[in-house]
Amino acid sequence: MRLAQHPSHQVDYSKSLNFIFNNKRYKGYEGDTLASALLANDALLFTRSFKYGRKRGLIAAGVEEPNALVSLEIGGRYTPNLKATEIMLYDGLSAVSASNPNAFDIRAFIKPLHRFMPAGFYYKTFIKQKVWAKVEDSIRAFSGFSKAPTEEDVDVYDHIFHHAEVVVIGGGAAGISAALEVLNNSKKERVILVDERTQLGGELFNEFSSDEAAMTWHKDSVNRLLSFANEDSERFTLLTQSTAYAWHDQNYIEVLETITTAESLTSSEPQKARKIIHRIRAKEVILATGAHERPMLFEANDLTNIMLSQSVRRYLHEYGVISGKKVVIYGNNDSIYSTARDLHVNDIECIVVDVRSSEDPIEIVAELKHSGVKVLQGYSIVKALGSHRVKGVEIVQTKLQGNDWQVFGDTQTLSCDLLATSGGFNPVVHLDCHNGAKTYFDEVSQSFLPQQERDNREVCGAVAGASAWQDAINDGKNKAQFTLNALGTVSKLTQEILSENYSNYFNVSQFFTPKEILNKPKVFLDLQNDVTTLDVALSIREGYRSIEHIKRYTAMGFGTDQGKTGNINGIAVAAELMGIPMSEVGTTTFRPAYTGVDFGAMAGREIGDFFDPQRYTTIHDSHVASGAEFEVVGQWYRPWYYPKTGENIHQAVYRECLAVRTSLGMMDASTLGKIDVQGSDAREFLSRIYTNAWMKLAPGSCRYGLMCNEKGMIIDDGVSTCINDNHFIMTTTTGGAASVYSALEMWLQTEWSDLDVHLNSVTDQYSTVAVVGPNARKLVKLLCQDVDFERENFKFMQWRPGTVCGVDARIMRISFSGELAYEINVEANYGRYIWDQVAIAGEKWNITPYGTESMHVLRAEKGYIIVGQDTDGSMTPMDVNMSWILAKDKPFSYVGRRSFSISALCAEDRLQLVGLLTKDSSTVLPEGAHVIDNKGKSIGYVTSSYFSPILDRSIAMAQIQGGLAKMDETVLVKIVQKKQGLKEIPCEISSSVFYDIEGEKVDGND
Amino acid sequence: MLLIHCPYCKESRDQSEFSPAGEAFIARPKSPEGISDEEWADYVFYRTNHKGNHWEQWVHSNGCRKYFLVERSTISHQILQVAPFGARNSETEL
Ligand SMILES: [Zn+2]
Repeated sequence: MRLAQHPSHQVDYSKSLNFIFNNKRYKGYEGDTLASALLANDALLFTRSFKYGRKRGLIAAGVEEPNALVSLEIGGRYTPNLKATEIMLYDGLSAVSASNPNAFDIRAFIKPLHRFMPAGFYYKTFIKQKVWAKVEDSIRAFSGFSKAPTEEDVDVYDHIFHHAEVVVIGGGAAGISAALEVLNNSKKERVILVDERTQLGGELFNEFSSDEAAMTWHKDSVNRLLSFANEDSERFTLLTQSTAYAWHDQNYIEVLETITTAESLTSSEPQKARKIIHRIRAKEVILATGAHERPMLFEANDLTNIMLSQSVRRYLHEYGVISGKKVVIYGNNDSIYSTARDLHVNDIECIVVDVRSSEDPIEIVAELKHSGVKVLQGYSIVKALGSHRVKGVEIVQTKLQGNDWQVFGDTQTLSCDLLATSGGFNPVVHLDCHNGAKTYFDEVSQSFLPQQERDNREVCGAVAGASAWQDAINDGKNKAQFTLNALGTVSKLTQEILSENYSNYFNVSQFFTPKEILNKPKVFLDLQNDVTTLDVALSIREGYRSIEHIKRYTAMGFGTDQGKTGNINGIAVAAELMGIPMSEVGTTTFRPAYTGVDFGAMAGREIGDFFDPQRYTTIHDSHVASGAEFEVVGQWYRPWYYPKTGENIHQAVYRECLAVRTSLGMMDASTLGKIDVQGSDAREFLSRIYTNAWMKLAPGSCRYGLMCNEKGMIIDDGVSTCINDNHFIMTTTTGGAASVYSALEMWLQTEWSDLDVHLNSVTDQYSTVAVVGPNARKLVKLLCQDVDFERENFKFMQWRPGTVCGVDARIMRISFSGELAYEINVEANYGRYIWDQVAIAGEKWNITPYGTESMHVLRAEKGYIIVGQDTDGSMTPMDVNMSWILAKDKPFSYVGRRSFSISALCAEDRLQLVGLLTKDSSTVLPEGAHVIDNKGKSIGYVTSSYFSPILDRSIAMAQIQGGLAKMDETVLVKIVQKKQGLKEIPCEISSSVFYDIEGEKVDGND
Repeated sequence: MLLIHCPYCKESRDQSEFSPAGEAFIARPKSPEGISDEEWADYVFYRTNHKGNHWEQWVHSNGCRKYFLVERSTISHQILQVAPFGARNSETEL
């Protein structure tokens, strides 16, 4: 129901908006939230509860709302699990409940079983019985949360970084006041004010109708802030509809800003970022995060239209909305009288039930009684009446005897259609605790207040315990003075005087937790997870004492709610049942995020093509033109194979491999990592980081090296070229280039700063075209006239400078296939040109481009390892049968050498790399398959496996325990085949060199 | 997320520009062949995992690529000081 217009209302009655909720059409106004608009339409049902399928409605007006979860829009704009209280209405909005309250629900049907669904029900019933996997899907469908999106998100999201001297979190009275105080008393300090609502003001709106001074102060202050934001935007940034959801180390604050407008959400094209994550680095933080009201506990306290008292006030003042005509207001502090007064002024019938006896009569009570409002002091509600919507309450008399609540006397019934409750206030300490602060239980305010002193942080307003709005304003000013002082802007502090009620949360009484109520069923603590007082009692009976364990056993405080309204009541119940003080129970840990954060917002623009850098060689377009298929290796798009029309990968690789072995192939090897090593100690450096000798490598020569870490494990390999005594070019594996480079830098910078060596990554600076096959020499002779290619003058593992098709080049005679091969290195931008020239000149030998797959087959035929495929970071050179590459007489103990003599690395049963030949030569083993002994025990696994065209049989390499001593032995490889199931393939352990064992091919045949 | 001051760039930058590089002041033994397996293992594997103020190495990997020293509280994550390599010899307090 909507009330008559009032200046406190923040809705624009001239702008009517249409929207759809659960397939029904409604009207609201600009300035409404989805929640307020639905309340105005008397649409109260929002959800079915998680465990029991009970129909539930709103209890709150803000971020603390546990029930009203909805999904917004459909298709590419679908967003699940938003709170209706946080969605600003726009024209054309459509939303549905996370779990539809009007749909048939099996859980409501099985009501009699409820007593069999206590805390730990799912665990005890399904996990222990091992049937969880079978029932999980159907139970998750009842979870009370929206379905996950199925379509790609069409919107864009942004990230914005800020630096600020002062960040004020919370734009209520205290936050506004603090921000203004800082701005008024500083000249260049940058200030950011963050608030989760569209309108600054927080709870101050509630005071507008009763206190004109509040409205005037609000108007003036917000105007001043807005003029700072407009005229001095370098200094002041105002972020509204923005939730600070995490506070990390060193004052790093993450804020999620929501930008929802009709244009942005109903147009077909993205307009601008729908949400923005602001990442703020602050010097000083002022927390003005306020407090959340907590509900009172009684039986059936979850019926629809039982709301928090200050939320009822908020709907009334900010939106002109009330969801009842006859209201019972129930609580344990003076704030309930303000609610009663405001309802009474609006001619709404109300009765106040106060658990506290009337020992200290207060002014407002007398006024209310005088104006005809019924006030029952020393009474408590034991039960709410009604099946779905509250129809009345049962009350009894109550008094506090020592520290124990007594309930006595006859039960009376009051009828109502709206019940507003207030059980005190929970300061919003979440952010402070994210960043390591502690809370303490304060007896006066009956709350866990934030730790008092912290570096670079102040707390003010309701989060610090303030109740009255004037106190919040003054507190904001006072704390801002401390902040200015910490910044060095203000040296002499000025402080406002606070009222004597500053931190008692409206004279709140102790938690109303008499055993008579706690022992009743359906006294709900956590509405989102359906946790009752009996669940907490059960978990304590079953031996859980820590509140962290009780939380996990009962699921109290789980989900998107994170216990904002329920947790502190749960702690009070646990304290009561265990007979220990609140301070001893403590709170559960507050962790980021304070509220839900969209995955889209986290990803920001780093999606699709921007998810990861894509690297292409300068020859790429030619590969594309040749129809290559690509694979991604360390961000590089490398040709995988070059299928001709109709060929599959096996046919293409078969053809490519045979071409290389019998005539001529060519490969783009540009992606190999290249590190330029220069300096007078370059040679010494190489011999420290590689296992073999480098001191005598002459200019004009190349050498293969194996690199280990200090643990003695292989980390990389590659060929290094001696340009001159002070200059080498090292190549690394494609995927290892970056990590090798940084490891080398680390040695030079942190350990060997005395070496005269400089490194530079030159991977991108050179293109490399490998010409491979028995006809390679004939081809390079055609393309390069200024190099003597005769085999005795340009030997294997040598390089020559030359001119290839008019381009300066370094030509290396190295081979990763065992065939005669030349690698032509030119400045990167000539790569495509040289590639195309080689292809044209090679036509007479039917030159065949080949990709990484054929490269793998060719190297495996020769038994060359691939670091990272045949090794896994736990393999020594001995393990891969490469002891030959370990220099014995180097004076410097090279990296990893000392570890080789550690006993564990010399054990005979270590996994060792061997060849594996299937008895049936046509069977190709799957890589990763287990090798088993005759007892069925795994003794290793297959690392590389291919069909070798030149050998016309399958070949494989495997790591097998003690494999090098098991030559010619037969082992089994266990594989799973689609139709036949498990199968054991007999194989023979062999040398890992399968082809050209004598190494005769590398010189070619001319 | 830390804010780290690079002593070479002389700029305070976001942690995402840097990479951690382990505990500082772990010197490679001068003569690895002359020490016991235990001493070698101590150098290769064992770290103090200290609770409190702790010296560690960071590299400005997306910046100047320099390694440097950081003293950080492993409790509060406050960075107490940063220093280039070699500073330890010249400034006794490091
Ligand atoms: Zn730097």
